[in-house]
Amino acid sequence: MKFFLTRRFFSHSSLLVIFASSMLGHHAYAQELLDTEFRTNGPLMHALVAPTAEVLQKSSAVIFEGRNEEISFGTIVSADGLILTKASEIAEKKDLSARIDRRSYPLKEVIAVDPVWDVALVKVDAADLTPVPFAESSNIEIGTWCVANGAATRFQRRPMIGIISATTREIKADGGPVLGIALTKDDDGLLIGEIPEKSSAHSAGLKKGDIVTHLDNQAMKKREDVAKFMENRKVGDEVEVTFLREGKEQKAKVTLAGRGDTFGAPATRNDAMSGEVSKRRSGFPRVLQHDIMGNNKTCGGPLLDLDGKCIGMNIARANRCESFAIPVEELLQLIEKLKAKQPAP
Amino acid sequence: MAALSKCPAKPSITATRPTAFSHYLPFLHASGFWISRFPFLQNGIVVVESALGMKQLFVLFGFAMISAYAAEMERFAFNDKKIPSGVEDLKAIQKSMQSVLEKVRAATVCVELGQGSGSGVIISEDGLILTAAHVTSGVGKEVTFVLSDGRRVKGESLGLSSDSDCAMAKITEKGPFPFVEVDKEDQSRLGDWVFSLGHSGGYNKDRGVGVRIGRIVKSTESTVQTDCSLIGGDSGGPLFDMHGRLIGIHSRVGPTITENMHVPTREFVLHWDKMLKGEFLGEGPFAKKPKKGTGFLGCGSEDREGKLVVTKIGRESPAEAAGIKVDDILIKLDGTEIKDKKHFQAMLAEKCADDKVTVVLLRAEKEISLTIKLAER
Repeated sequence: MKFFLTRRFFSHSSLLVIFASSMLGHHAYAQELLDTEFRTNGPLMHALVAPTAEVLQKSSAVIFEGRNEEISFGTIVSADGLILTKASEIAEKKDLSARIDRRSYPLKEVIAVDPVWDVALVKVDAADLTPVPFAESSNIEIGTWCVANGAATRFQRRPMIGIISATTREIKADGGPVLGIALTKDDDGLLIGEIPEKSSAHSAGLKKGDIVTHLDNQAMKKREDVAKFMENRKVGDEVEVTFLREGKEQKAKVTLAGRGDTFGAPATRNDAMSGEVSKRRSGFPRVLQHDIMGNNKTCGGPLLDLDGKCIGMNIARANRCESFAIPVEELLQLIEKLKAKQPAP
Repeated sequence: MAALSKCPAKPSITATRPTAFSHYLPFLHASGFWISRFPFLQNGIVVVESALGMKQLFVLFGFAMISAYAAEMERFAFNDKKIPSGVEDLKAIQKSMQSVLEKVRAATVCVELGQGSGSGVIISEDGLILTAAHVTSGVGKEVTFVLSDGRRVKGESLGLSSDSDCAMAKITEKGPFPFVEVDKEDQSRLGDWVFSLGHSGGYNKDRGVGVRIGRIVKSTESTVQTDCSLIGGDSGGPLFDMHGRLIGIHSRVGPTITENMHVPTREFVLHWDKMLKGEFLGEGPFAKKPKKGTGFLGCGSEDREGKLVVTKIGRESPAEAAGIKVDDILIKLDGTEIKDKKHFQAMLAEKCADDKVTVVLLRAEKEISLTIKLAER
């Protein structure tokens, strides 16, 4: 109403000028293009969320393989150098380092890995880092702005912005949980055929030619028995495998992984338009979903609210419009769990 | 802008890929559009015709201006800034979106047709739906809609514009359904903050309808481009302004994540009545016109003493479903008297799969009229 009142005091001539300019204004959007700097993730928007960029500067890490290859981000959780990152992105990588603020730290030690969340706790030699400030809750309305790590330079961390875009929920493992072995029927039990190198059965020491007889002491005679056994299991569960090698009974503990993550899943049409996505992007107990753009190398860093508080940790780029983050509640529990695996000083 | 690819969830509903996009024309409004966009111009004309004095003219003109600005007032302040002024503006954007989000998510449906799925949005209480032509792919097709709460309802596709990727459909079950308001006045501008909804990759009850935020980064006559990311399954889903008014329908994506193309509602407004009537408009590339002669009725007949008599009914054919029986005498097809078998076949050869035909037949000296949807030959 205030607007109406002020308008009345305008002279006729100025009205006509406004009239003409408003017509031009309406007419003018034909073929116009919004300059990149004004776009949702342009530099001017990033400048608006500078306080969150400051948090990323101090409390996120860029994980490097060798001198120049950025492979992941990290979330700093203690002043003395504990950093969380995405386990599957640093697995089997050598010569790792973490760039924090303007300094680079060699990353010597992986303290512990959580296979369920695909999170690794790593350590650098430092004494005065700034742990990320945690939010009280991840219970945030859909449509709320959030910020994550964008492209980094040597001395500067940049933000990327987006919104919480769907209901916080479990992401079931693509294809369900598996031991990570190809089984064929044999007279004495189930014969192991191929074992992919990245399967947890492989790291547990199982080999081609072993014969599986029991899972958690339940007899396994047919492949259907294994399928039935898996029905009530989830990714990350530990299973005791009893097997025969050269006629001798042995046991091994295998952590279940997702079928798609272990054996690979055929790329879909949606994958084709999604760019590089995370190798491990399913099988999480609960995630926040947001629409911040990224790729396989942009996970591991904190997800912040506009106040710069950590509401979660980015854990998977699922596709062109879905990114997942571990909610802060689960993240805090996970930190405690992983820290407990740290050897006593 | 080369190498555009459309984004259905599965290839089965993919229309031919447009090789060259012919719609990037200079912006030209039909005159009707101008009038509807500038209601105060109509006022101006009325004033001149009634030959009032200059003073009244200006007074009326002033009122017209005020009414024009009343519409302008509705615009959010953050939309008239090249960049939000600060975190307060960001929060205003968030607040406006969140105040309408629940309502518009409820009206966003998953469109299941054949092997694939897309999205759509309900725009009336009785279940009229706007979606993309490459999702419905034709007129009169049976469709299942999954409402956001998981309820599955039956429906059918109405008309479409195959060269601009507009389509209408309707729920054939009884409402009321949640629905959104359509911006028929074309009020969005370059740089406006917008958000997209859709059932990305298909319906997922735990996730719900996915929301993405962005700005209008390009606008041409028949395409709006935003930096709200889209993926297969979103096709046909809604793009909203921050008032929750429908301003576009998702159509296709470019090679980078920030290139997401929507059909503006002004394009739907242009074809509204014809689509509502079930017309197939344009020559593609977003939907292929069904070929004549592909319609299948499924009843055999022969000429007997100047009458065309049914001799055979195909199993599970449209003829069987409609209740045509052996020995029925075929009299009329779509209002035209049937002369003989040759004539009947010639008329049917003009029909396509999914066409509806009206057959009048004589049984026990009583005329029976049946409306039958042809199957695919």
